[in-house]
Amino acid sequence: MIPANTAKEEAIMTMISGMFALLLLGLVYTQVLNYETYFTQSQRNFIRVLPIDGPRGRIFDRNGRILVNNRISFDVSCVYQEIGPKDAFIKTVSGILGVPARQIIKALNRASESSLSAPVVICEDIDSKKAIALEELESDLQGLMVENRSKRDYILADSGAHIFGYLGEINEEELERLKDYGYRMRSLIGRSGVEKYFNNYLTGIDGGEQIEVDSKGRRVNVLGLKEPVAGKDIWLTVDTRLQLLADKLLANKTGAIRVMDVHDGALLAMASRPSYDPNIFIDPDGGGERLRLLRSPSKPLVNRALGGLYPPGSIFKIVVACAGLETKRISRSTRFVCPGRFSLGSAVFHCWKELGHGSQDIVEAIKNSCNVFFYNTGRALGVDTIESYAVKLGFGRPAGIELQEESAGLVPGRLWKMIALKDAWYEGETVNYAIGQGYLLVTPIQIIRMTAAVANGGRLVRPYIVKRIGAVDVSGMRFQDTGISQETLRIVREGMKRSVQDDSGTGRRARVEGLSIGAKTGTAQNPKGAPHAWFTGFAPWDDPKIAIVIIIEHGGKGGIGPADMAHQIFAEVKDAGLV
Amino acid sequence: MIYQKMLLRDFDKTLMAVALLLFALGLVFLMSATSVRGQEMNFGYITKQIVSFAIAIIVMLAVMNVDYQRLIDASWVIYSVNILMLILLMFIGRARLGAQRWFALGTFAVQPSEFIKVTFVLALASYISGRRYALNRLENLIGPFFIFSAPFVLVILQPDLGTASLLAPTLFIMLYAGGANLKHLLSIGGAGIACMPVFWHFLRDYQRQRLLVFMNPNTDPLGAGYTIIQSKIAVGSGGLFGKGWLAGTQNQLNFLPERHTDFIFSVVGEEWGFVGGALLVLLYFVLIRRIFRIARLTSDTAGKLIAVGIGTYLAFQVVINIGMTIGLMPVVGIPLVFISYGGSSLVATFMAVGLVLNVAMRRSTF
Repeated sequence: MIPANTAKEEAIMTMISGMFALLLLGLVYTQVLNYETYFTQSQRNFIRVLPIDGPRGRIFDRNGRILVNNRISFDVSCVYQEIGPKDAFIKTVSGILGVPARQIIKALNRASESSLSAPVVICEDIDSKKAIALEELESDLQGLMVENRSKRDYILADSGAHIFGYLGEINEEELERLKDYGYRMRSLIGRSGVEKYFNNYLTGIDGGEQIEVDSKGRRVNVLGLKEPVAGKDIWLTVDTRLQLLADKLLANKTGAIRVMDVHDGALLAMASRPSYDPNIFIDPDGGGERLRLLRSPSKPLVNRALGGLYPPGSIFKIVVACAGLETKRISRSTRFVCPGRFSLGSAVFHCWKELGHGSQDIVEAIKNSCNVFFYNTGRALGVDTIESYAVKLGFGRPAGIELQEESAGLVPGRLWKMIALKDAWYEGETVNYAIGQGYLLVTPIQIIRMTAAVANGGRLVRPYIVKRIGAVDVSGMRFQDTGISQETLRIVREGMKRSVQDDSGTGRRARVEGLSIGAKTGTAQNPKGAPHAWFTGFAPWDDPKIAIVIIIEHGGKGGIGPADMAHQIFAEVKDAGLV
Repeated sequence: MIYQKMLLRDFDKTLMAVALLLFALGLVFLMSATSVRGQEMNFGYITKQIVSFAIAIIVMLAVMNVDYQRLIDASWVIYSVNILMLILLMFIGRARLGAQRWFALGTFAVQPSEFIKVTFVLALASYISGRRYALNRLENLIGPFFIFSAPFVLVILQPDLGTASLLAPTLFIMLYAGGANLKHLLSIGGAGIACMPVFWHFLRDYQRQRLLVFMNPNTDPLGAGYTIIQSKIAVGSGGLFGKGWLAGTQNQLNFLPERHTDFIFSVVGEEWGFVGGALLVLLYFVLIRRIFRIARLTSDTAGKLIAVGIGTYLAFQVVINIGMTIGLMPVVGIPLVFISYGGSSLVATFMAVGLVLNVAMRRSTF
């Protein structure tokens, strides 16, 4: 019965056995040898981690009023693979959002290139009414998602912008360096001001939700949740009322205003103009405005109170007065006659009052800001003494505020001139130095520090703006003693009081009913145009608490514009019960 | 007369048992492949598959009832009807997934290309056994090539590369078993492969794409390559013992397209692991061996060739199907016999099994 020749069937069966053996080898290769690889890939397929933003810490003023907050922003995104008919999708979404179809098509094109089922943002920060309208349609509009994100909100807009600073998306280099600290693509990082220098405290720790998704990226299950941790809140020394007033006074001008506690250096207001709205830097449509800010010749991003360098003009006479009295080159009763001019060899130096002030003592000279008195004093002191007193009163180095955008300024001297200009110091330059002109450059924060030292009995305080981080008080007072005698300071304060109190004083326009004020004005010549107008002062005179400084670039006489502004600020300070 | 003692003596119980076991396992896999995590179980597919199975058993019994010699005699009619259906399909067929493969028949769709494999084997066996002259002369191979060309061209036109890829090896192996010269066959096969570039021109874009993707799935990870990548991930992530029934994430979360039809082995691999997959392969191997055992034990040329032809196309179908889920073979779109969801495939496969059993029962009657 058995057929004679079965060799062919056996050959065929051998070949088929070989095929099956190959198949088994393939299974071994896939399932046993490469198990790890494929298992990891399958996990990656269905487990997705959705980051949850850890909100940045908020920023409050000294009275607990919120200045920088986080609000919920609604972002619309889509998963390309899930979208049904594209035309209908584009039409509906563009209709509700009120954005041109072209923008949505662009986003869809981006989405089609993205990896499997990763959501791509179509439109950021839409208003809540549109978000609700879209959320209601979410079940009909396949592939559409409305996500909540925490967004920074600068409540005062362009007021206080230089204090808060702004945020920017992390760049590649920073990401490389900081990715171990929880930063990821599109993370925001402080770019200036408190946002930058306190970034590590403000930054929250992102949490995440581990979810199981199906092939279309739809959530099936929640596998785990890591709660985000909010960043630490920061309390500033700023008084919002004063800050808003300062910004209002500077509107349409270029300049800066500082208000500071004379005893501990707490800054109550720090305004700088031109300013910017930090919200622009997190606005998805703010690109053009950002570029304008960065390129603007008026440098709105510069905090003029810290970074702006100006000749101090007559304000500097306070330093020269202190030096003269301390070195006993002059005394309370020393008098110089001012004929309106001062000759040194063939050179003639003028007083700002052409007809002269007549005979002046130190108090009258400060009150009238008499140049001739200080020409004489300066000449008697010499460049080295002026230089050393300028340094004593804090010039030529940063004031030490936490926001490290400070300039050091420039206190010239013989050595500096030799090195920088390779030239000897001339006596004519000493005479100019005495009235705050020449090479000398200062920042407004240095001036207010000097004024505070005169007011508080000779201590140079370290200005600061952050009072509390989370629950920790960081306002720890730090100061240096200038070593200037109380008698000297009393005489200088006397002159500053007379400058406001007397009807002929240069700072009389700052006068406030019921508040004694000491002040000094300045009109700094500069090569770029009209003189810069300065004002610095303190109050109350008998128990100083508050110091202010105002500079208006090319603002003319310090005794007019800035003194008027000072009047309003002192009135507000009094009204707020700060003195 | 069908269940006479004599006939039952040579009824291959093992073959029948393995076939039924494969179908039963298939239902278990199918249940997993048609469920979606987080959704209620949908028994629609299972019910339909069981109805198809009932039809398949009736068809199988009917095929077994008639002496296969009568079927050989009628093979030309059967073959012609099937060819006619394929031609008709070009005009009135229902298009699915870009291909015209189905006739609508109430709620069922009949796929003539599933049956052509059986009827082709029958026609070829009939032709070879009916001619006494030897196949070892080259000119005598012309007839068989005509029998092959008609269905081959028709399924390619559908286009159904899968069926075409089964017809070719079946032809060669049946010719070889029927006595054709191996050198002749190899030269013809070589010539056919040499003609591939010409053949390439006749392929549809998506078919070309599939072949390119077979070479490198990452060329189009979201399009044509997606299925093969996801399938490899599924099978590979099953590991040695699998993730457990209904626990495959690739499967249950819908990452696998066509997972209840052509790619059902991905589900098996993911949920039952290497152990389950290898066991399944082994079961198929036992089935094929049984069929070839019958071929060996049959002295009648027609009967022998029927067993060889059916054994060959089933073996190739299993190897190609499982091979494509792990990237060993290009994705050509053929179901896994006994297991994939689909009535035509199930009925045609049991019909083929019935035919082989028929040969086994009657081979010693003369």
